[in-house]
Amino acid sequence: MDNIVIIPWEVDELTHEFFVPDYINTLAAEVLKHYSFQVKSVQVVTTKPDKGGAIWKLETNAGPKSLKLLHRRPTRSMFSLGAQKYLVEVQKARVPGIVQTNNGQEYIEAGGKLWFVAEWIEPLAPVTKDLEGAKQLCYALGEFHQLSKGYIPPSQAEIASRLAKWPKSYGKVITKMDWFRNIARAYKEMPASQSILNVVDTFQEQARKSLADLNQSSYLSLVEQGNKSWGLVHQDYGWSNGQMGPNGMWIIDLDGVAYDLPIRDLRKLISGTMADLYNWDVTWIREMIRAYHEASPLTPELYELLMIDFSLPNEFYKNIKEVVYEPELFLNETTTQLIQTIVDTDQSKWPALNEIQHDWRK
Amino acid sequence: MKILMVCTEKLPVPPVLGGAIQTYISGTLPILSKFHDVTVIGISHPSLPDKEIMNGIQFVRVPGNVLEIYREEVVQFIQNNSFDLIHIFNRPRLVMPIRGAAPNAKITLSMHNDMFNIEKIDPTEATSVLKEVSNIVTVSDYVGNVIRTLYPESAPNIRTIYSGVDTERFLPGNHPKMREIRNSIRKQHGLENKTVLLFAGRLSVNKGVDRLIQALPQLSTKFKDLALVVMGSKWFSQDEVTDYVAYIKALAKRQSIPVVATGFVSPSEIQKWFAAADLFVCTSLWQEPLARVHYEAMAAGLPIVTTARGGNAEVIIQNENGLVVENPEDPSCFAEKITTILSDKSLMKRMGIRGRELAVANYEWNRVANEILEVWHQAIEAPSTNIHNELESIQTQLTNETHSETLEVYQKVELDNEFSKQDMLDKEDMVDKKNKKDKKDKNDKVDKKDKKDKNDKVDKEDKKDKNDKVDKEDKKDKKDKKDKVDKEDKKDKKDRVDMKDKKDEKDRVDKKDKKDKKDKKDKVDMKDKKSKKDSVDKKDKKDKKEKKEKNNKQK
Repeated sequence: MDNIVIIPWEVDELTHEFFVPDYINTLAAEVLKHYSFQVKSVQVVTTKPDKGGAIWKLETNAGPKSLKLLHRRPTRSMFSLGAQKYLVEVQKARVPGIVQTNNGQEYIEAGGKLWFVAEWIEPLAPVTKDLEGAKQLCYALGEFHQLSKGYIPPSQAEIASRLAKWPKSYGKVITKMDWFRNIARAYKEMPASQSILNVVDTFQEQARKSLADLNQSSYLSLVEQGNKSWGLVHQDYGWSNGQMGPNGMWIIDLDGVAYDLPIRDLRKLISGTMADLYNWDVTWIREMIRAYHEASPLTPELYELLMIDFSLPNEFYKNIKEVVYEPELFLNETTTQLIQTIVDTDQSKWPALNEIQHDWRK
Repeated sequence: MKILMVCTEKLPVPPVLGGAIQTYISGTLPILSKFHDVTVIGISHPSLPDKEIMNGIQFVRVPGNVLEIYREEVVQFIQNNSFDLIHIFNRPRLVMPIRGAAPNAKITLSMHNDMFNIEKIDPTEATSVLKEVSNIVTVSDYVGNVIRTLYPESAPNIRTIYSGVDTERFLPGNHPKMREIRNSIRKQHGLENKTVLLFAGRLSVNKGVDRLIQALPQLSTKFKDLALVVMGSKWFSQDEVTDYVAYIKALAKRQSIPVVATGFVSPSEIQKWFAAADLFVCTSLWQEPLARVHYEAMAAGLPIVTTARGGNAEVIIQNENGLVVENPEDPSCFAEKITTILSDKSLMKRMGIRGRELAVANYEWNRVANEILEVWHQAIEAPSTNIHNELESIQTQLTNETHSETLEVYQKVELDNEFSKQDMLDKEDMVDKKNKKDKKDKNDKVDKKDKKDKNDKVDKEDKKDKNDKVDKEDKKDKKDKKDKVDKEDKKDKKDRVDMKDKKDEKDRVDKKDKKDKKDKKDKVDMKDKKSKKDSVDKKDKKDKKEKKEKNNKQK
């Protein structure tokens, strides 16, 4: 078992939806020997074949549990597991508790990765897909951010922090716009190439302005307050990782948590929802921000950063960045239409942002 | 003297996985160990024993990769062993913990990157570090200047020692030892009768090889039979095809000039590719300390085109051994410099010969080792740093406590700095004098060395050591390479990326189709706010995976 190293695996038409390679299932069985509960059934519920991660649902004599194989570096996973433990034990957050091994450990290392068992919370139900649901998500996110403050990772964990990396990640967006342009030029006979060339300058200019605004903002002084005082972002928060359960909203899937300015999560949730609406709706944005603010008060400085983060061409970037992989497939007619949708939605973004720009400066 | 060299937490020594710092240490060790009792502490690797004595040098290998883990291992080792001098490589953040464990040792710090920048080390800690070290060695003037600018008080203690190259391993392609290798590599990769441009380095945004690929169309209009060789390990890796690698592959695919990717080349084999090439191009966009590849290219007798970034241009004498691109962001600037060299065959030849001369005269490991010996001597002579007594009293605390307490020690150290001012002034005086003397010494020494070089006794012994070492490394490297190649082959066959793309493509099409169908209706619905489970609901369907997670996923 010591020599096995877990690596990503392939899925194709022949493998079923929840395929996990045998050697990983064998490791899973080994891992479960370290726990005191008796396993009645094991069922794969999620896989990340491209990264080498998976989740199983366990029925045990001590109730339902989840077994999770974390695909990240072990020292990185230690950071997240420490956070989950802190949130549950110290802050009593509605986050699944970690089940300890027979030796009182939070995790088992096998196949070069960390595995852990957590409580399976039942029942959990997604919030309704309307503004009320969106507000519930935002409020729960604010609570999560508040509770995550003060977390100190265990000494052997690496410090996962995105706090000081905003300018770098904005810079990356600007750089990749060059890539999109260069690829569109190199593959100019493809249907979507011209669509990219038509809009990439505009979006790159938006990103440049965002970075300039970031550099002019109070960002650096906020960074100086340090990791611990800001707490953690979830990084993958949305309609599936925040769900209604016993005593309120529960937040699950914490393995990507990192120190950061918390409004990064809020920005992603709102801009993703606006993309789903195909429209930047001022009422939705305001109400979502307000719901968040009730749980985790926004300062004018944070609000300013939220506005700046909105101003990045997030949707264009997120949807087009795949072009570098197999451009001869990606640059098809469907992508042309996708770009059109993004451009259309972007039309309503700027009036909406203008309207709410000064909400927090009164 | 008993000396401990502390490597970084990233790569093992000897450089079985490559690495500039690791190469620097390995290149100088055979000479350094003749004069001193040297121990090297670094990270463990499956191919290397955790403890060994090789050619009189003690190697200690401990878990690493993460600085925090490595730091504790190093501190523990130092607590149990005593040294006159500890030479720390590229990790200023190790200085204070090491000082805590070795209150009386002199500390020398080698800087290979901008690790003193504020995002790398807290200024408070940096200031303490600069007071604790006797001297700082940098791999280029650029690296030293960055530290001087940030911390002017460090200026008198900083000295550049350029890295070196094994000029007997890196040889021009027309050298009798290399001719066959050159021909066979060129034949194997369809490069016969081609003029081969070589890029060697990480395939990353910073290293900028995309600019060179973009310069190819311009070059192809002027030169027939050009080829570009990209020597970097990630090209074929299925494990971590970064966006950047995908990007340059997508560009390379569209070139009329063939782009040959070598894939992973073992550190012990890279000289073969240098020998197979005709012109070396370094495309770095970032403020690079000074890439080793320049020395290797010079030793291999290749004209160099490099960038005016960081320290790279420090080893280029314009028009003698190469040309410098002032604006590397712009691909046409590369095209221009490359054209200048390629269109003048006699210039091209002269540059190659001159590069080889410079490598032999200035960049052999002997010279590097001699300069390090000088620095060590200087460190031992330097006054003790002043705060160790204070640290000694709290050292017992450190022994049993975790690193968060270690941080408190730094703070304590910082508070005590007032005591040190007079000492510091004294020290600076002495160091100033020493620096002047050292400069003179150095010049004398270099002069003498140049004359005597080939007959040097040390040299001969060194060669023997080197050969022993190279033999051993070769064996290891061959095994490593084979393992790696086997692994990559397997992965290649499976072609995971293709699969992923197919799946992504399918997802994308599904997503978009559904989006289109629902588009108008959803908009209206959402506006009405009457239908409670409208468009977001429908969007759920667009992504099977997301839905699956929603219903099932839990921690």
